[in-house]
Amino acid sequence: MKIKEMGGKLRARAGAMRDKLSEKPDVRKMARDFWYGKPHEERRLGDLYIGDTGLYKHREWRGVVDTMYYFNMIWLYNYIHMVTDVMKYGGGPVMGPVNLVKGLMRYRWMGQPYLTVMHWFDRGLEGMRGPILRGSAWHYRGMTSETIRQFMEMFASDKKLNGGKESEQWKHNIAHNETVSGSIFYGFHDVLEDIPLEMIPYFVTCHVNNHTVLNYIDAAQSIGLPSDPCPMCQAEYGLFVLDDYPDYAPTMITSNEACDGSVATSVLQDWFLNRPLYAMPQPMRYDDPLVQEHCQREIEGAWKFIEEQYGVKFDWDMYCKYAEEQNKLTAFEHEKWDVAANTPYYPINGVAQALYRIYYSQDGNRPIWHEIDAHVRKIMNNTVKNKIVTLPKTRHRAIAWSCAPLYYSNWCTWAYNCWGINCVINMDSLMFDQYLRTDTYEHALEDLAWYNEKAPMRAMAVGGHEHILSLWSYMERFNCDMVIMYDQLQCKGMQGIHGVFEDEFRKRDIHAIWVPHALPDKRTVSRKEIRKIISDYMITVMREEPLDPTLVDFEDDSSW
Amino acid sequence: MKKILLKILGIAAFIYGLLFAVFYFDLDGKFLYYIFEPAMIKHFDNMKREDNTTMPYEMKENVSRE
Ligand code: SF4
Repeated sequence: MKIKEMGGKLRARAGAMRDKLSEKPDVRKMARDFWYGKPHEERRLGDLYIGDTGLYKHREWRGVVDTMYYFNMIWLYNYIHMVTDVMKYGGGPVMGPVNLVKGLMRYRWMGQPYLTVMHWFDRGLEGMRGPILRGSAWHYRGMTSETIRQFMEMFASDKKLNGGKESEQWKHNIAHNETVSGSIFYGFHDVLEDIPLEMIPYFVTCHVNNHTVLNYIDAAQSIGLPSDPCPMCQAEYGLFVLDDYPDYAPTMITSNEACDGSVATSVLQDWFLNRPLYAMPQPMRYDDPLVQEHCQREIEGAWKFIEEQYGVKFDWDMYCKYAEEQNKLTAFEHEKWDVAANTPYYPINGVAQALYRIYYSQDGNRPIWHEIDAHVRKIMNNTVKNKIVTLPKTRHRAIAWSCAPLYYSNWCTWAYNCWGINCVINMDSLMFDQYLRTDTYEHALEDLAWYNEKAPMRAMAVGGHEHILSLWSYMERFNCDMVIMYDQLQCKGMQGIHGVFEDEFRKRDIHAIWVPHALPDKRTVSRKEIRKIISDYMITVMREEPLDPTLVDFEDDSSW
Repeated sequence: MKKILLKILGIAAFIYGLLFAVFYFDLDGKFLYYIFEPAMIKHFDNMKREDNTTMPYEMKENVSRE
């Protein structure tokens, strides 16, 4: 029976092959696909993956021009510039690579994830063509360069890598929580170096290669700390439990940002670091007029702390210079929002928009951001002038709200390729929306306090319901017809307002897709589950067909 | 001179072609995924680490603005 069945199958297969061979190849179409790349509906991007690894059998063929652009100006360009950045920021062509190897072998967060960075580009840029491929790739380049600058500065002055030596550079560094914004330090910018402690060891790793962070979450729980707080805070103090933090500065400045989960991080950091530490909390209900002065005094307290610890003076002119530089970045961000909101010509995709914005506005003014903005401005001027529709298969314009899954920030690239959902803007892009006045000291301090109060997640997630519910006005402003509602399962603040949103979505007749996740921890809700939730909604509620059916259901559990 | 130039051009073209093959067939990704990352994981799993929890926790001097 079995042999008969097999024989039948073989005959059927041979018949299908015969049919295929007898079909005349459409040479003109093949040539067209080779030159321009296949039309969106014929790409079958899901067929490129190897099992659940996320690796490609081969990278995508995007047509001659875009493939060669990707190869030359993204893949090669970034590999080459990674080497030059290591030398530039790490102390020259000899000490740069030496310090890099030392850091690579010492810290898991460095040795495991960062060399896989080009796959981070690949995931975010899948399916992109033309100007949006270029504009988004420049954003990735900016983040990569700034990441290298930060870890090379850490390694060059790290006591752990340099035989316990307190070098001059070590003595001139300030460590601070990644949630303390770089703008706090503008008055010391030319004499001291401020480097956020967790941005590179924790935050960026989750996006580049989400395997590493799990070690730190588990380490935090291994010493009896509870497992239900936000996994962001767990991972941040897990770094200390595993002795995997670089020792590059004599002091530390902490914050309770984004929420009170971070207070525990500060307490534990105070214990593990055992050195002068200034805690600079910001009020949760930040737009209460009564808390403004308190917040300003906290910032002045941080400045006084720095003056005392480092023997340097806060320099008002220096502050103004960098605050004004930062205002230029904010002005360009507003231009970008304007194009994103009112035209289909925006040359930056959802993931590049979200990550770049959160990175530079948190990090503060650095030359690389101006360099990147100049490239992007050129591209954007061109798309607007020539009316180039950058995501032509858009069926829905979505806004993503609340705290995002770090291990799947590129879900929006998938959602566009698979369903035509164009994630135009997200909550994290809209925070820090504040110019810094420099006409008087009082105005400067007032705006700086506001700026820091409008930090990620605090601004619109846990800073009061009136901010969380500003979603409706942003939906209107960005012309969105759909909401991707992130549902961080361990975020007590956002869980508390879940029901209100359910009611409001129903009342306002808004298509909203709830996306559960656990910030950096992919084990709680996998990427595949997130895709399934979105696809189920698109099929059963929207009754739509996928643009690329190979992307509806595929495995990627073991991918970076 | 022309010969040397041609030779240099040939070598450059060969390297460029080779790099394109690495790019197109995702050989960088495969190397990092199958060889480099597992080796690094092994290295970090076997690494001796300080037990930071032995650090005493005392009340610190008040270093705030007062
Ligand atoms: S996700 Fe929620 S719990 Fe975690 S830091 Fe942000 S606001 Fe706090």
